[in-house]
Amino acid sequence: MMEIIAGYVKDATFEVFESMVMMEIASGEPNYNGSKKIDSIISSMIGLAGDLKGMVVIHCPEEVAKKITSGMLGMEVDEVDADVKDALGEIANMVAGGLKVSLEGEGCNVELALPSTVIGRSIRMSSGVGSKRIMVPFNIPSGEFGVEMNYVMSSV
Amino acid sequence: MGKNVLLVDDSSTMRKIIGRSLRQAGIDFDNIFEAGDGQEALAVLEKESVDIVLSDINMPNMNGIEFLREKAGRDAIKDIPVLMISTETGDDIIGEAKSLGAVGSIKKPFTPDKVNEVLGPLL
Repeated sequence: MMEIIAGYVKDATFEVFESMVMMEIASGEPNYNGSKKIDSIISSMIGLAGDLKGMVVIHCPEEVAKKITSGMLGMEVDEVDADVKDALGEIANMVAGGLKVSLEGEGCNVELALPSTVIGRSIRMSSGVGSKRIMVPFNIPSGEFGVEMNYVMSSV
Repeated sequence: MGKNVLLVDDSSTMRKIIGRSLRQAGIDFDNIFEAGDGQEALAVLEKESVDIVLSDINMPNMNGIEFLREKAGRDAIKDIPVLMISTETGDDIIGEAKSLGAVGSIKKPFTPDKVNEVLGPLL
């Protein structure tokens, strides 16, 4: 199931970047054991509830976050400001929304919370005992970012 | 006289993207008003002349469903059409929005072509 969900994360992220960020991205191999780290400065997360509980988190280094925001807004971005936080939060929201649609196709109903963004170097997420962790790395010319999913299945 | 639109989304980035998508889709409005939640949207509708509203669903303070419900109870603004633009796609919540007067929905993420396809016939 983790491989399937990682595929959904990839699909949702590609769709968001293609249609809303106007930026080509390449995906790396998903990591399932927590060993993959992203050297991030900003992380946007959105909680998931329902048949699957957990969160989706976008981890970005500074330059990547600024480039992604530039792509979304169609203007240069020089610092990690409110626009960057807002843009990353909205990407997390849309990726989670795409994931939700895919999971509903598996009979797994998920509700989304509102996105939150934290700034700090190499934030590590910690989830409950038994939770699964998937990290899907992506690349743009400015560097690497990651989409992490922590979750516990209560049914499916 | 041209038309005016109100964009309702708690993300300022998303409001900018929707505005850009409208221009890319060739849909010109005289005025683009913005609101960060349902409460702000109601205040704009009571004050300004708005022809159509494009609204998110998941928002703090007053979400899109609560906004539709409150708007439906105000005679001066109840007939202004509202198109939902949201990550929410479930039949239950979109159905609820339509039962409260929403004229349609667009899923995020979207393309300018999709905006034109859904919004164009409503103008």
